[in-house]
Amino acid sequence: MAQQKIFGYANRISVKQGEEIKFYVNCDGAQEAKAQLVRLIHGDAHEAGPGFQEEEIAHPANGMWKVKKQFTQLGSFLKVEDRANRLAVDGAFTMFCHIWPTMPKKGERQTIMGRWDTKNNMGYGLGINPEGHLEFWVGDGKEVDYVTAELPLVAKMWYFVGISYDPASGQATLYQEGVLTRYNSLLGKVVPHDYASHVRQAFRFRPKNDPKVPFLIAGSWDFHLLRGNFVNDLFAGKIDRPAICDSLLTRAELDQCRTGQRPKATAILAYWDTTAGYSDRGIGQSVQDVGPHGLHAEGFNHPVRAMTGFNWNGRDDCFRLSPEQYGGIEFHPDAVTDCRWDETAQIHIQDDLPSGIYAMRLRIGPGTGITEEYIVFVVRPKKPSAKLCYLVPTASYLAYANESLSFDAHIIQPMTGQPPVVTELDIETYEHREYGLSTYDHFEDGAGVCFSSYLRPIINMRPKYRMSSMNITWQFPADLSISAWIRHQGYDCDFITDEDLDREGLDAIKPYNCVITGTHPEYVSERMLDAQEDFVAGGGRLIYMGGNGYYWVVGFSRDNPACMEVRKLDSGMRAWAAKPGEHYLQTTGEKSGLWRNRGRAPQKLTGVGFIGEGFETASPYRKMPDAWHRTVSWITEGVEGEIIGDQGLAYGAAGGIELDRYDLSLGTPPHTKIIAATGGHSDNYVLVTEELLYAYAGLVGSLDYRIRGDMTYFTAPNNGAVFCTGSIGYGQALPANGFNNSAAKVLANVVEAFIKDGPLPGSNWTLEEKQWR
Amino acid sequence: MTEPTEKSGYTWINPLASWGTATGNPAAPSVPVPDIREDWDRVTGYKVPTYLVGRLKHYVIWSNHGDRLWNRTRWWPTRRNLLHVTGIYNRKTAIAEKKILDRRPIYWLICMVLLALAPLVFPASMQNTLLTAGTIFGIFAAINVCWTLIIGTASIFSLASYAVVGTAAFLTSWLSITYGVPWYVLPLIGSAIGLVFGLAIALPALRLDGFYYALLTLGLNELCRVFFTTSKEFGSASGGLYGADSFIRESWDPMVQSYVGYYAAFALLLGSLSLFRLINGKRLGRVLRMAPEKREAFAAACGVDYKRARIVIFIVTSVALGFIGGFYAAQYRGVAFSIFSFDTVLLGLAMLAIGGIGKAEGAVLGTLVVVFLDKVLLEWGPIRHFLVGALMLAAVLFLNNGYFGIKKQFNAWRDKKRGEWRSTRTEKGGEALPEEATETNDKDQLYFRRFDKIQRDYLKKLITPEIIEEHRRQPLGQHSEALERVLLYFRRAKLEDKYALHRAGPHGPYKIIAFSGSRGVSPRIVDDREFATVDEGYHGVFMRRVHDLMES
Repeated sequence: MAQQKIFGYANRISVKQGEEIKFYVNCDGAQEAKAQLVRLIHGDAHEAGPGFQEEEIAHPANGMWKVKKQFTQLGSFLKVEDRANRLAVDGAFTMFCHIWPTMPKKGERQTIMGRWDTKNNMGYGLGINPEGHLEFWVGDGKEVDYVTAELPLVAKMWYFVGISYDPASGQATLYQEGVLTRYNSLLGKVVPHDYASHVRQAFRFRPKNDPKVPFLIAGSWDFHLLRGNFVNDLFAGKIDRPAICDSLLTRAELDQCRTGQRPKATAILAYWDTTAGYSDRGIGQSVQDVGPHGLHAEGFNHPVRAMTGFNWNGRDDCFRLSPEQYGGIEFHPDAVTDCRWDETAQIHIQDDLPSGIYAMRLRIGPGTGITEEYIVFVVRPKKPSAKLCYLVPTASYLAYANESLSFDAHIIQPMTGQPPVVTELDIETYEHREYGLSTYDHFEDGAGVCFSSYLRPIINMRPKYRMSSMNITWQFPADLSISAWIRHQGYDCDFITDEDLDREGLDAIKPYNCVITGTHPEYVSERMLDAQEDFVAGGGRLIYMGGNGYYWVVGFSRDNPACMEVRKLDSGMRAWAAKPGEHYLQTTGEKSGLWRNRGRAPQKLTGVGFIGEGFETASPYRKMPDAWHRTVSWITEGVEGEIIGDQGLAYGAAGGIELDRYDLSLGTPPHTKIIAATGGHSDNYVLVTEELLYAYAGLVGSLDYRIRGDMTYFTAPNNGAVFCTGSIGYGQALPANGFNNSAAKVLANVVEAFIKDGPLPGSNWTLEEKQWR
Repeated sequence: MTEPTEKSGYTWINPLASWGTATGNPAAPSVPVPDIREDWDRVTGYKVPTYLVGRLKHYVIWSNHGDRLWNRTRWWPTRRNLLHVTGIYNRKTAIAEKKILDRRPIYWLICMVLLALAPLVFPASMQNTLLTAGTIFGIFAAINVCWTLIIGTASIFSLASYAVVGTAAFLTSWLSITYGVPWYVLPLIGSAIGLVFGLAIALPALRLDGFYYALLTLGLNELCRVFFTTSKEFGSASGGLYGADSFIRESWDPMVQSYVGYYAAFALLLGSLSLFRLINGKRLGRVLRMAPEKREAFAAACGVDYKRARIVIFIVTSVALGFIGGFYAAQYRGVAFSIFSFDTVLLGLAMLAIGGIGKAEGAVLGTLVVVFLDKVLLEWGPIRHFLVGALMLAAVLFLNNGYFGIKKQFNAWRDKKRGEWRSTRTEKGGEALPEEATETNDKDQLYFRRFDKIQRDYLKKLITPEIIEEHRRQPLGQHSEALERVLLYFRRAKLEDKYALHRAGPHGPYKIIAFSGSRGVSPRIVDDREFATVDEGYHGVFMRRVHDLMES
């Protein structure tokens, strides 16, 4: 029997009561899976906590689901909409484009553009052969004939490449010229490379064109017996302004095109102007053909746009300044943003299903490890009714979706200070790579991953999962510790997600008295940030339950809201760095990177911001002198002694992992009080890079006083207020000792005060003190 | 493992202990950290003599075409270009240059031109001998090229090639003498005979292989010899059958006859080489190169129908051999029984063995050497045969695959010598030698090797029972400087073979695994030992790393 495994995803991450949600499941080794709707209570099996808990929910969809093996199209490419088959050219033609290959010596064929059928050897294609040379080939269904450039392509250099082919004479002339400038390529002009190659070969036969084969850019058409048609021989790198003409262009004409000029209009069959369609709000996934037939191309798996083109001058650093310099579209053979599987089931969410975090649990065979899948979604109320709202940070889940740092990043062990602990599930997904990467990973060609979507299985957005590099729960499963505590406390709470906040803005949270976040709401869009700022300014109360939050600028795709974009740049604790000139989001036109670098440091909203991280130990908080002030003394009421949070599921205490600090110079409100702070962190805790102007020795836990988590509180207009824990570990500390611990006590004090209407406790103790002692 | 050293008496105090809240050992017996500069001085110097490296550019290297159009020509009607040329960037200069990946067509052309022009430069005294020998060479080389297709490409150990040639020659001679069949039909009739013969002896090849098949075909050869020598029709009395029609007119000047004979045989050789190229270089040859002897099962599992390919080659080649038989009869007006004799077969085998089985150039060169010894150096007497034997023995004893295997064999030998030579000079993981540096494109790696060597030598001194015990008590958290330095080094290691833990259930047990370091390749289980708790697992990983460090 084949190895049994089951994976799935849903079309939505947030569903309102009374709405529908669709599931897509891929299964090996079974025809049926046992489906059960569950409410997720607690996600971490750690001995110090309540263990894993779920509640089975009666639903008509429970029972056996028919499941099957499904295939995922990996790789980004463009497919041309050509219903009239105008690109099935029988006569002479010329194709050209600018390219910036990243892995020419990959050892596999890569197709740049063409109408090529790999299975049947039919059509024509321009690409890179396994030895790394530019090649043009044609096929008649039996044989393949080709012309190959003399010199191999050099990685990360801009070239102008083209082919003019005349079936009458059989002559195919390949055109390859380097178009490097001082800025656009990896190497400069001091390298004595000659990049030019012009080769002519007489072909022995004409290509045959199958009407069913599409014209593809960055891939070619292939077929597999079980899978059917798919796109193969994918290209890694950038392509800028590809075009095809239905006549032979001369060398001189191609020389002109090399500079970016269009060929004469009468010759053009299709000219995909990759710079057309930009607005200051970004650009979508379709690429316009400005030729006579309007053969527009559609992007699959998010080819990356807003990237510098061959003619980037190094001065204009954004596509909004000069779109014509931003014609580069970057393709990656291992990108996936939508699995596009066949639907397995669609279910209706009952009107009376309480708002919360749910999952469709699917089991086959033994029903553990990779034979068990939880497809997680949040149920929102039809109408807000509670005072408390849990804002589930789904944008941050996407950012970490399927990260494989333990396997691919050699820096992860020095960072976490421990060997990773991996499971069968980690190995399975690492081996197969079908479910895509996180924004913490690199594509095979070394580029950072900037798109992440939930239209694919996400193995770390599941209960029970522990992040292998740190051996603790992280993001979604860690956030279940907060929802478990809310449930344990019996608070009436509505659940919403980042996606809802991004779509609806302030309206999504306005009805609530108090919004509580997850442990690590690191990725936020402008609308999400605006909504929370307006919420607090308008009298709302915010509990920021984590560390390293409100950090990265992200955008959501207009054509696919399930997909999030981030570019990592300049400073910040970052897994990769965007290339020069590519710092703006294609989805919204905003500059990405840190909110801090855009004038919105997290301190301005919450009072604290990222200062240090370490992953092998944690420390409790110790009360700070201000904790005794009557404006805030109610927060620590009921806590005996000065220590808070000396237990926890993440390294045994509440203060640790990623820490946030109060900093007036970054916009912490001036009246903010530090209630308590962690300290005594080990040297694995290091200062964050955005704090660093000059690096010097000793920027570590035992030597730098700044490396600590601050528990802060300040009041806002209209009885608003913000309370911060300043540490990721706080959330995982709540379930310790049966939810009976000092961290949970403090939080309960805050939540209970925050959900009440009217003025906050201690709000009258505001006169200047006249001290006797 | 190091020898247990004396207790240092040094105790490390955790600077975080004063917080009272931090995790970690409050204090631990440890070792003072020694001065790293000693290791620096010791490691950054060669303990062996160093030599200048580099290879002088001693022949012309063509530059690439650059802007100029390179109009490529092909061997009609194939898609193969005249020469397999590609451009490369010189690693020393970054300048583009041209490289001929396969120079054999040039050598073939030169050799064929030399063979064509050779008669013009033969010394007058030897002209007749040389032309005769040249003719024999042409015909035998043609036969051997076909034979090497059978033995080499098809891996069928047949010794019946001369039997096919002989049978075709005898039958066509007989037909020509008896029925006056003209000379130009003889090769065609020969081909038909070859086809029948080929079909007959191809069938046992499906069931027999190697030695048994060789014996069978040898027996067949002997059967033919006995049949023809004892049949009156085939001239049992006169030692051969002569009188067939020929394209060489007896009325011609003897010298002209010799010339025509020479060039006819030369043309036959060219034809046979074309056949070799057509079979060996195309699909059939490729299919069979996947299925060499003793690896047939693997090829079959890959979907290669090697049996069919072998039989096809065998039959096609038998047809060619039959053609050669007919041609032989037409050239010499008949044929002698010696074609079937055992020493002809052995001489043929010697030709193949000397040149190298499976290569056309091997078959041609082997034939040239043996024919030259046998037919030109006549005055040397019987010692010639002794020489042939000696050459064959030498080829079998010292060469892997005949003369044309020498280059590959030499390169392999040089690689082996280089490895031996280097192992006497380098320290494992130590500073790279100048000759090793030529093979490293990323020069940063050379510095890394230096740095890493120093680090390891230094850290080995820190591995003591104290720090091992300190780690066992508290694998994670703040450690003494000695242990911290060791751990930082371990954690920074490259991903290839870097250790981690595998957790089977929600609470263990744990096993040590090692990452592959290559994308998408899953980690391997290092050993079967299970650890009940994660801390024990961490310590297990630490001990493995200590072990690896001390071994390096």
